[in-house]
Amino acid sequence: MTASERILLSRRGFLAGACCAAAAPVMTPISFAAMPGDNRFVTIILRGAMDGMDLVQPYGDPAFAALRPKLGLTPDAGLLDLDGFFGLNPAAAPLMPLWQARELSFVHAVSTPYRNQRSHFDGQDILETGGSDKSQKTGWLNRTLAAIPQSGARMAIDINTSMDLILTGPNKVASWSSQSNFALAEDEIAFLERLYAHDPAFAQALDEARSTDSSAESLYSDGKRGGGIADIARLAGGMLGKDYRIASFSINGWDTHVGQQAQFRKAAGDLTTAIVTLKETLGADAWSKTVVLAMTEFGRTARENGTNGTDHGTGGLALLAGGAVDGGKVLGQWPGLGADKLLDERDLMPTGDVREVAAAMLYRQFGISPEGLTTKVFPGLSFDKNSVYLRA
Amino acid sequence: MALANETLAAIRYGYGLTPGGTMPGTAEGLLAQVDEGRTKKPRFPREGIAGRRETATRIISLRTAEAKAAKEGKPNEEIRKQTQREAQRIYRQDAMARLAQAVHSPLGFYERLATFWTDHFSTSALKSLPMRMVVPLYEAEAIRPNLGGSFSQLLTASILHPAMLIYLDQDQSVGPDSAAAQKTGRGLNENLGRELLELHTLGAGSGYTQADVRSAALILTGLSVDNRALQVVYRPRFAEGGSIALLGRDYDGDEGEGQDHVLMLEDLAANPKTAEHICRKLVTHFIADQPPEQVVAAMVSAWAASDGNLKDVYRAMLEHPRAWEEPGQKIKQPFDFVASGLRALGLPESNFATLLRDLDNRDDDDGPVDKAMKMASDMAGQVTGQGGADLPNAAAADDAKRRAGRANALTLGALQRMGQPIWQPPSPAGFADQASVWLSPSQLTERITWSRTVAKTFGQKMEPSPFLEAALADAASPETRQIIAQAPNKIHGITMVLASPEFNRR
Repeated sequence: MTASERILLSRRGFLAGACCAAAAPVMTPISFAAMPGDNRFVTIILRGAMDGMDLVQPYGDPAFAALRPKLGLTPDAGLLDLDGFFGLNPAAAPLMPLWQARELSFVHAVSTPYRNQRSHFDGQDILETGGSDKSQKTGWLNRTLAAIPQSGARMAIDINTSMDLILTGPNKVASWSSQSNFALAEDEIAFLERLYAHDPAFAQALDEARSTDSSAESLYSDGKRGGGIADIARLAGGMLGKDYRIASFSINGWDTHVGQQAQFRKAAGDLTTAIVTLKETLGADAWSKTVVLAMTEFGRTARENGTNGTDHGTGGLALLAGGAVDGGKVLGQWPGLGADKLLDERDLMPTGDVREVAAAMLYRQFGISPEGLTTKVFPGLSFDKNSVYLRA
Repeated sequence: MALANETLAAIRYGYGLTPGGTMPGTAEGLLAQVDEGRTKKPRFPREGIAGRRETATRIISLRTAEAKAAKEGKPNEEIRKQTQREAQRIYRQDAMARLAQAVHSPLGFYERLATFWTDHFSTSALKSLPMRMVVPLYEAEAIRPNLGGSFSQLLTASILHPAMLIYLDQDQSVGPDSAAAQKTGRGLNENLGRELLELHTLGAGSGYTQADVRSAALILTGLSVDNRALQVVYRPRFAEGGSIALLGRDYDGDEGEGQDHVLMLEDLAANPKTAEHICRKLVTHFIADQPPEQVVAAMVSAWAASDGNLKDVYRAMLEHPRAWEEPGQKIKQPFDFVASGLRALGLPESNFATLLRDLDNRDDDDGPVDKAMKMASDMAGQVTGQGGADLPNAAAADDAKRRAGRANALTLGALQRMGQPIWQPPSPAGFADQASVWLSPSQLTERITWSRTVAKTFGQKMEPSPFLEAALADAASPETRQIIAQAPNKIHGITMVLASPEFNRR
């Protein structure tokens, strides 16, 4: 390859100088060379701990209705039946065509190795670094780049204002953001209300801003937020349609302690919009070679709390979408919701490691060896060619 | 809640806490910052004081020559545009340097005083193109070296600076009976005379009359600006002759020609109403919108005892117990909010160079990045022919635009949106200082938006709770501590630290 065949552009100088000097050189060269390999992989991080039992409800479990008197649905009450035991929250109805086309699967009762502390920050760090504790410092998706055979030219992209931890590390990654400065998620607004609760002047200003101030629309309005997510997914899809093969972005809004129904509907709507938009933007051919993995730092309590919400839990849900998924399944070993089946008598018991789901997808999409996956990408993970998730 | 003195000092008398920084929690420690600050060169003007005079006079004379040529039917659009762009770029560099100065200087009390006095003696970079370059010079040479000496000295340095004379139209004013008036038909402009009494010294409602305003304006006649040297000059042809009475004294040139305005400034500085006005304004700015009278009284006494020595006046404030009590009564002004937010992050100073470069690359002219992008797109064209060339070119241009947008949203653009653009006060009275102005729904929205942008840009490697400690230490309430620790994601946790009531109050 001669010098003129690689076009080097400097970017991320600002970000590197600002926050990631140790992780990336000040001017990261980005190559726009053509490359072999058509398979794509997208991760979506659902920040705030998604309630998997709300998105994919185990209405067939005899204990479910009692644990979730307000949040639990049945097919008679609008739940979209998936397989006679699980049903999809109607807020995600636009995903049903994908389910029917076998381009959508779920994996229930999975988690990272993170236990007992239930802190969003640590939980998200471990989800993104792929380790079993906080000792890993680089993102597993970044380490993936080095593990892909003949990976010299495969490109990854982070669709955020700046790099998420999952893609941070020594390997070259581009970072782009869509121009829309999308609005606060519902749970984030709820947190601001709490933050201002002990300062009446601030509480009043926030309240007025949300209800009357027209300049506040971009920050608080739902319409903008949906648009923002669609923009991000469109940008990711556009880049994946060209030279990029790996992309990652985040969706916030899942920390539903209070008034979960409305908050969850919005967050689930964002996730749905992101997946549907990715499919549209990629087009049939690229979509057929794509896997989207949406995952969260941990699940939420099996039981509703006293404020129509749920609190931090353990076992959660992962979502797989894409033409490269053998879909139409709810995978995972369902532990049951009986009193003796719950972790610490409160959380869905995790029966699988979400990292293994990711490893299976990387194995299939990029041919990374099980050895590479269990030593470089997810050190300490057990994964082999018999993994149940390879049927996903 | 009683705060540690060091915390209170950093927030009330400085630009907030910064990782690894220290702020003295005593009156003597803060006063030492005043002494040290006066001897330090600020980060602006970028070329230094003498250098700025050269740059500014060069650009002014280019424009003057062009204007003259245009009058004769030979306009040179290119010179007009180029000088405009250059002045704009110089202003932007200096404004970023001013922000960097507040963020990175260890002398927080001195920096806050520099902001206070630059605002008290307001001038605006928006007045004219040359003022984009002259206002930073004004702060650097008239305000900063003089804010720890006598008020009289500070007043004289501020009023007798080209920036002030241009801003308040003194360079247009001539005595009605002066030689210049006879010849040109020009007349008196009362602007500076009025603001001198109302804003700079005695204070509104302190008892002076319209006749006094006119007298002050008449005494100021003769003062003008030499644009070629960018110096204040006295032009006898502009000056009103004869004896002019103001507040019980006749100014009649008995100290020599062109000295009356100096005497008037000294007299105004020594007037007890000035002491009352300034002391009250200082307490209102630093401590509370309703200034505690006993602190004002202590400062006024110190003023009288020291003939208006400002360091003694600051000392009287800082040695009063009330100066260290009841934190959180004031809402930070936007500049304070943005500076303290960036300061709390503990970013290396090189960040400002990067931000500035991103801002400069927005211009359509040939910055280094634009050149690189053009080259890259040409090369792409050679290799891939049609089609493939579009992506890198459009993408890179898009990227540069985005980065410029973000750099602006983090700094100058944010201050503009929050209503406190650097060196652009809305009127000669400066920026508002009351909580009601800076805590409104739209203001809060802007602050949350900025906090979120900061968190997304710089917060990826940060933990919310340690950041809260760095930003607020013991000023964070237990409730806020708990909420930050539970935030649904790091970005929102860091956003909430900056958007918290504690961080926005001082």
